Amino acid sequence: MRCSVSKLPLQGLRVLDFSWIIAGPTAGRILAMMGAEVIKVGSARRPDPSYAGPAFQVYNQSKRYAALNISRPEGVELAKRLVAISDVVVENFAVGVFERLGLSYAVLRQERPDVVFVSSSGTGHTGPDKDFVAYGSLLQHYTGWNSVSGHPGGEPVPGGLWADPWVGMELAMLAVAALNNRIDTGRGQHVDFSMAEALSGSIPEAILDYQMNGILPRPQGNRDVHHAPHGAYHCKGADRWVAIAITDDDEWQSLCGVMDRPDLAGDTTLAHAEGRLKRQDELDVAVTSWTKDLEDYEATRLLQEAGVPAGPSLDVCRVYHDPHLRETGFLSKLRTSDGETHDLPGLGWTFNDGIEADVRAAPTLGQSNDYVYGELLGESRKDITRLERDQVIY
Amino acid sequence: MALGLLPGVRVLDVGERISAPYCARILANLGADVIKVETPDGDESRRMGPFPGDAPHLEKSGLFISLNLNKRGVTLDLESRPDADRFLDLARTADIIVENKPAGWLDARGLGYNALRQANAEVIVASITPFGEIGPYAGFKASDLTLCHMSGQAHGVQGPVDAPDRDPPIRAGGHQTEFLTGMAAATASLIALYRKRETGVGCRLVVSSFEAMVTQIISGLANCAYGQPAPSRKTDRNAEPAVGGMVRAVGGLLPCNDGYVAISPREEAQWQRWLGVMGNPDWGTHERFATREARHKNYDQLWRLVGQWTKGHSKRDVARMGQERRVACFPVNTVEDLLGNDHLREREFFVQVDHPEAGTLRYPGVAYRMADTPLPLDSRPAPLLGQHNHEVFRE
Repeated sequence: MRCSVSKLPLQGLRVLDFSWIIAGPTAGRILAMMGAEVIKVGSARRPDPSYAGPAFQVYNQSKRYAALNISRPEGVELAKRLVAISDVVVENFAVGVFERLGLSYAVLRQERPDVVFVSSSGTGHTGPDKDFVAYGSLLQHYTGWNSVSGHPGGEPVPGGLWADPWVGMELAMLAVAALNNRIDTGRGQHVDFSMAEALSGSIPEAILDYQMNGILPRPQGNRDVHHAPHGAYHCKGADRWVAIAITDDDEWQSLCGVMDRPDLAGDTTLAHAEGRLKRQDELDVAVTSWTKDLEDYEATRLLQEAGVPAGPSLDVCRVYHDPHLRETGFLSKLRTSDGETHDLPGLGWTFNDGIEADVRAAPTLGQSNDYVYGELLGESRKDITRLERDQVIY
Repeated sequence: MALGLLPGVRVLDVGERISAPYCARILANLGADVIKVETPDGDESRRMGPFPGDAPHLEKSGLFISLNLNKRGVTLDLESRPDADRFLDLARTADIIVENKPAGWLDARGLGYNALRQANAEVIVASITPFGEIGPYAGFKASDLTLCHMSGQAHGVQGPVDAPDRDPPIRAGGHQTEFLTGMAAATASLIALYRKRETGVGCRLVVSSFEAMVTQIISGLANCAYGQPAPSRKTDRNAEPAVGGMVRAVGGLLPCNDGYVAISPREEAQWQRWLGVMGNPDWGTHERFATREARHKNYDQLWRLVGQWTKGHSKRDVARMGQERRVACFPVNTVEDLLGNDHLREREFFVQVDHPEAGTLRYPGVAYRMADTPLPLDSRPAPLLGQHNHEVFRE
């Protein structure tokens, strides 16, 4: 039995998205795919740094895009009129920038008393470090997040993209939580978000271990403190690996079966995790002697058929070509602004009611000018042309 | 006064380990009334550390308590009909039920979506799965390790190595896959809740951990879609941190006399200011480092020179000097540093909770503040096993 609804969950809501690069745009992307009308605004004067590259094509899917130069007073006035007809406003400028432009929460609320204003920055909008210049990849170090990762005894690993997309999803979550609240109370909300705190919030075990035992995280690479074998094992081909995680004694027996190693299966000292952990170096060698002549996908197939958690360690292009993402529809064909067709991603969840996420190609800057300024704000063609000429709609 | 954004919203947490309980904790932080439904043996995370003195104890897991703050807890043996019926009674009162049982587990006990929906027509059931319910991996087993690797996270995010054929990709530490999946489930659940409150229509939603993880690297997917190869894992061919695959930036870690700093003076103006932080060394004007492209090309050499300067200072001093000149620069902190961090103290990030068995400890709070809306972050410690059976089943 299916729910009988004919519209996306957030249909009828409008989001005004002033954000750029990754985190803020990710929030808008999620809200747009779930049915909200998301209007990204930005200016050729200072374009989104991602605009020239492929990344823009994913972080801004399913949105509209209007040119708006908020460094001009007339641009700020247009922004206010757009706030007045929006349910949610998202921004991720450095702390204080939006206020200096004349777009503080107090101002937004005058335009739209129940607006949900989501404001994200590196370290949050209060506290001694609020003005720190921040990038997500650096915050991963500042927050202890990276201290749990790495090779045993090794130097800290540089780390890459994690914080921004996580934060984007959390911003979308908070916007919708505030919208739920608005149904009851009629009130809007001002959300002050700290990317740094989102990262520190996802390593509670390390924070508690230090308080309980005075122990700092000891990165284990691919290993696990409770289970073995647990690692990435070399397969046939350069830089090809299969990840295998034995998490109970039955899986260990299954692994021995797949590897055709009755000697290991029958070794009573290896029957339980404690014994396997003691001999994990030796077991890693044994597993590798089986994996090294197999393709990573083939090893995965054999292991999964036997009930062993395993998967190939893929680089991003092999992820892109992975058959599962195509069969589930996570990647779908979109005709993008260059006129070509590309396979681009959707969301990590599905609803059972037959309503599919609204996955569309990213817009170009100014593509929605006529809709936003003409249809929504009621400006005449003549006025729009003048505002374009004056580099307000620009 | 009601606390948070979700007063009056009832959530049942039928979760094990991390993903579903974390989803429910997110909702509890926002003021939902969350009832955690455990098996009589307790959630598996009660057996996962850390524990005080490294001594396992069902009521003292730092991980379990973190994940289950502000919830009430009941125990039900869903294998038994009377307890399954009690669960259906609870389901009648719920707005959202979040679960991560193995595929088909609830159905086999007469507690699948259709049964829940008969009990409560508007209910939202959020099911967290490794790979979703369709596609070639639908029946695959998974763990944090295998999902980190399959999703490209291990290969790309943990950074390049000297010898990719010797040093395997590694996963992120901790339980990142499960936390991320919990956040995805909370996001989707609140979207479904919004529709339910506007239209009276519930639904079932299915989260795929694999696809949630892949969503973390969609800029990399976009690069592939536009014909670019995957970045090499070899250090000297990939000198910059992969900034979403879109900014070629000079940046990374540098040694200090007490640890490391992380720095990225990627824009030209930032680089010039950074030279000022270092006292404008002679090599700073050399043409090898004169442009963004040149700095990128001669990254190894450049980074050695910069590192020679940072080594003479503490990580806090380098970060402070950099930030004073508006250069993105942060100390590489340990969790000890975090617990003593003035900024986090002023923002009251950590939440002190007195727990009857584990004692008084500080737990990470939330990443957001709402001036007009206080949150119930320390309203109750995590439940003891079965602590609220009497209270909840009497209601």
